[in-house]
Amino acid sequence: MSATKTETILRQRDGSMLGSGRRTHRSWTDVALNVWGVLVLLFLFAPIIVIVIYSFNTGRLLVSFDGFGLDAFRTILEKPAVQNAVRVSLITALISAIIATTLGTLAGIAMARHPGRWVWWFLGLLLLVSVTPEIVDAVALLPWFVTLGQDWGMAIFDDGIVRLSIGSSLFATAVVSYLVRARLIGQEANLEEASSDLYALPFTTFRRVTLALAMPAVLAGFLLAFTLSLDNTIVAAFVQVSGTTPWPVYVLSAVRSGLRPEVAAVSTIMLILTLIALAVVAVVLRRAGDSATDIARTMGGG
Amino acid sequence: MRRRSLGGLLAVPAWVWLAVFFVAPVGMVIWFSFGYKPGIFGTHANDVLSFDRYLEALSPTFFATFANTLWVGLLGTALCFLIGAPVAYWMAFKVRPERRGILIALVLIPFWTNFLIRTIGWQVILAPEGWMSQALQSLGLLDGPLDLLYTRTAVLIGVVYNYLPLMILPLFVAFDRVGPAVREASKDLGAGKVSTFFRVTLPLSRPGVVAGVLLVFIPLMGDYITATVLGGAKGNMVGQLVASQFQTAQNWALGSAMAVVLMLVIALTIAAAAAVLWLVALPFRSRNRLVLGAAPGPASAPASAHASQETQVTP
Amino acid sequence: MTESRTPLRILAPESAVPRIAAELSRRRFLSLAALAGGTALLAACAPGGSTTSPSSQASGGALEDALSVYTWGDYDSPDVVSAFTADLGPKVTLDSYSSNEELIAKLIAAKGTSGFDIVVPTGVFIPQMIENGLLTKFNKDLLPNLSNMDPTALGRAWDPENEYSVCKAWGTTGFVYDKTIITRELSTWADFFDAAQNEASGKTSMSDDPAGIIGAYFWANDLDWNTQDADQLEACRKFLVEEIAPHIAAFDSYPGTNAIPQGTQVLMQAWNGDARLGLLESSDPDRWQWVLPGPVTELWMDNWAIAAGAPHPEAAHAFINFSMTPENLMLNLDYIGYNVGGKDMQTGATDAGMELTDLIFFSDAQLAAMKEQELNDSQTVRVEIWNEMKAAAGA
Repeated sequence: MSATKTETILRQRDGSMLGSGRRTHRSWTDVALNVWGVLVLLFLFAPIIVIVIYSFNTGRLLVSFDGFGLDAFRTILEKPAVQNAVRVSLITALISAIIATTLGTLAGIAMARHPGRWVWWFLGLLLLVSVTPEIVDAVALLPWFVTLGQDWGMAIFDDGIVRLSIGSSLFATAVVSYLVRARLIGQEANLEEASSDLYALPFTTFRRVTLALAMPAVLAGFLLAFTLSLDNTIVAAFVQVSGTTPWPVYVLSAVRSGLRPEVAAVSTIMLILTLIALAVVAVVLRRAGDSATDIARTMGGG
Repeated sequence: MRRRSLGGLLAVPAWVWLAVFFVAPVGMVIWFSFGYKPGIFGTHANDVLSFDRYLEALSPTFFATFANTLWVGLLGTALCFLIGAPVAYWMAFKVRPERRGILIALVLIPFWTNFLIRTIGWQVILAPEGWMSQALQSLGLLDGPLDLLYTRTAVLIGVVYNYLPLMILPLFVAFDRVGPAVREASKDLGAGKVSTFFRVTLPLSRPGVVAGVLLVFIPLMGDYITATVLGGAKGNMVGQLVASQFQTAQNWALGSAMAVVLMLVIALTIAAAAAVLWLVALPFRSRNRLVLGAAPGPASAPASAHASQETQVTP
Repeated sequence: MTESRTPLRILAPESAVPRIAAELSRRRFLSLAALAGGTALLAACAPGGSTTSPSSQASGGALEDALSVYTWGDYDSPDVVSAFTADLGPKVTLDSYSSNEELIAKLIAAKGTSGFDIVVPTGVFIPQMIENGLLTKFNKDLLPNLSNMDPTALGRAWDPENEYSVCKAWGTTGFVYDKTIITRELSTWADFFDAAQNEASGKTSMSDDPAGIIGAYFWANDLDWNTQDADQLEACRKFLVEEIAPHIAAFDSYPGTNAIPQGTQVLMQAWNGDARLGLLESSDPDRWQWVLPGPVTELWMDNWAIAAGAPHPEAAHAFINFSMTPENLMLNLDYIGYNVGGKDMQTGATDAGMELTDLIFFSDAQLAAMKEQELNDSQTVRVEIWNEMKAAAGA
C-alpha cells in the first residue's frame, strides 16, 4: 500500500512529520532497525561466505584449508554424479514449489474467505503434516509409492523426479497454506465485495482482487517451498530411484568418505547463479518502467 | 450460502493431494505401531496387535530426551521470534516497497545451500583454533580459545540459524498486511511507537505470528540433525530416538509407536501453550474491550481512548 | 527417451480419411499392445521371488549399455568409473545412500524392481540380505580377477564362499588422541576409557553407532562383543551410561573430517581411514597419535554385491571384475584411503608416495586381533543402551 492521502497532503504542506521524513528526521528506532536488519542478514550469510571461501580450497578435505585454487571447480566437471544430483534437486524443487504454491494458495484462500467447520479439520490435517517427523513420512511413502507404481500399475510413480517432487511438496503445501491464510484472514472482504458489486464475475474477482491481495504471501510461499524442497533429505533418500539421487542425499552420503571441496564449489556456483538471476530480474523490472515497479511493489507487498 | 460452499471447494485439490500422499501412508505407520518386530532380520509384522510398543516407547530415556528437546524447541522458537520479528518489521515498514522482494529473496538465499554444508560453515566459524577465535582473542574479548562448539549455546545457534526464515517470512507477510494507514491513525491519536506496536500492529498480525511460531516450533521438535552437528551430545533430540528405531534397530513397530507418541506430545504442548497464552491475554483482552452501543455514561464498560478494536481472530 | 517423429503425410480422398486414421491408430495400438504383452511375458519369465535367492543370471554374454551402482557417497575413484566406460562400454550411474538399513529398506520395499545393479553393503548385513532374497549369486566365471584379492579379505564369516559378495574395502576401529594434552601413552581400550574420564573429560567423542560404542566396552574387557548374555549387556550398560556418558562431548563417526583438522576434541574414537585423513589434513600432525588398541578391536568390510532383479547383470559382473585389476585396486586405494583387499599392495602404495600406510595395512598379528560383528537378537538392547547413553550425555 503506497502513501496514504493524509501523508501526501501533510507532506505537501509541511514536508516533514509523520514518518515521511526520510531525508530530514530519522528516529533512532529507524536507525536501530536498519542496523539490526543488516546485522541479521550478515548473520544469515556468514557461513555462506565461509563456504564460498573454502570452495577455493585445493586440499582434500573441505574443512581443512590447504591453498587457493580452482581445483574444486574443475573436479566437478569430472564427476557426473555431482552434476546429476544438483540437476535433480533443482528440477524437483521447482516442480514441488509449483505444486505446493498452487495447492496451498487455493487452500489458504478457501480457509480465509470461505470458512466453515471443515476449516478445523483441514487445519488439523496441516498440523498433522507439520508434526510428523520426516523419517515417518519417508518410511511410509516408499512402500506406498511402490504399491501405487508396481502393484496398481501407475507407472508414473516409478519416476524418480515425480516421487521426489511429491515427497517434498507435502510440508511445503502446509507452509504456503498457513502463509496465504495469515495474509488474508481478518482482512475484510471489502474489495472482493466491491468487485462483485461492479459486475465482475467470481473468477475475475478471484484473479484480479483476491489473488492480488494474497500475492506477497504467494510469492513468499513459493520461495519458501522451493527452499524447503532443496533441503529435503530423509524423504528424498528413501523414495529416490536409480539415477535420481538428489543433492542433499549425495552430500549426507559423502560425509562418510570425508567431504571434498567440490561440495563447497557446487554451493558457490549455485549461489552465483541465484544472485545473477536476482540481478537480472531487478534490472528487467527497472527497465520495464513504472508499471513493472508497481508489480514489484505488489509482489513485495507495497 | 451457495457461494460459501463453492468457495470451500477451492481447498479440495489440497485435501486430495494430502489425503493420498500423506494420510494414507501415515495411516500405515500408525498401523505398524500396533505390531512388533519379527526376529532380527525382519522390520515389522502385524499379525499380533498390541499396545506393547507404546509402553516400550514411554521409557525414561524418552522423557529425558524429550525434556531436552522441549528446552531447545521453546528457547529456539523464542529466540527466532526475538531475532526475526524486528527484521520482519523492518522489511514490512521501513524498507522501500520495491526493495522488499529482493530482501525476501536475500533472506532465503543462504538456505539454498545444503543445510549440512552451511552447518559445516558454522563449524569452521566457531572452531576453537579458527580465525574468528583467534581474532576475538587478539582483541582481548576472549581469555582462551572460543569454546562454543558442542555446547548448549551452539545447539541454539544452529537451530535459530536454520529456522529463521520460517519465522521471518510469515511475520513479514502478516506485518505487511497491517499496512501504514492504521498505524498512522494510531499515532495521530497520540499513541507512541511502542504503544502502537503492541496494541495495533501485533494484534492485527496475530495469524502471522502464530503461523511463524508454529512453523518453527513444530519441525524443530522433530529435527535432530541440526542440533547434533554443532552441539554434539548436548543436541540430543527426540527425533533421533525415532530415527534410530527405523534405521539402526530396524524396529519399525517401535519407531512408529515413538513417532505417534512424539506427535501427540507436540500437539499437547501446543495446546498447553495456547491455553496459557489465552489465560495470560485475558486481562489485556478485558481491558481493551470496546463496547459499542452501550448506554452513554461514566460508569459504563471501560472504553479506552485508543481506537484499537480488538480483533477476535482465532488462529 | 526422445523419439524423432518425421510426420507421415498421406494424400487421400476425403471419404477415406476416417478409415485410414482408424487403421493407423489401430495398427499403433496393436503394436503397442504386442510390445506390452511381450514385456509382460518377459517380466513373468524373469526370475523373481523373494523367498529364495535367485541364481545368477549373467552368463558371459554381451555387456548391456548401462550400469546402475548404488553405493556410499564419493566411494569410487572417478578414474576407475570413467575407465570402465571407456574400455568396456556401459555408462555408469552412481546413486548414494548413507546407511545400510536404508539400503535394505529400499530393496525390500522395491521387491526386486529397484533398478539397481550393484550395491555395497557392509558385511554384517549380508546374512540378512541373503535371507530376504535381496542379493543374486555371483557367476564366478565372470570374476577371474578374484585371484588378485588377498586371501584374508576373502571368505569372511558372513559369506564364507564369496557367493554373494566380495571385498571392496575393509577397515578397523581405533582412536586418536592429542599428545600435548594426554602426555602418557595409551595403547588399549581400557586406556581409552580411562583417559575419557580424566584428561579428556568433556572433550571426548565416540562414534555415533552402537556397534562401535558397545564394542569398545567388550573389547576393553576382552570379551566376545557379539554376546547376547543379558548380564554382560547390563554391566556394559551400567558402565557406559553411568561412568562414561557424562564425559562424552559428541557422538561423531567421522572425527577425521572435522574434529581432527579443527582440533575440537582431545580423544576420538575413529575408523582407521578416517583418522588417517584427519592426520594428513591436520596443520599439526605431530600433535595427534593414532592407536590400534588392544587386546581386540573390530574388522568391518564393505562389499560388492549384485542386487536381486538387477537389470544389467553382465555389466555388473564386468564392473566388479574390472575393479579388481591391480591398477584399479591401487586407484581406489588412493582415492578412498582404506585397504581394498588386494594382494601385496603395501610396497606399491609406499612407492607411489602414499603416506601413513601403517593406518591402512596391518600385520598378521594385528589382523588376528580384529573381530567381525554379527547381527543378532541383542541388537534391540544395544540400541537401547546407545540411546540411553546419548540421553545421559546430553543432560
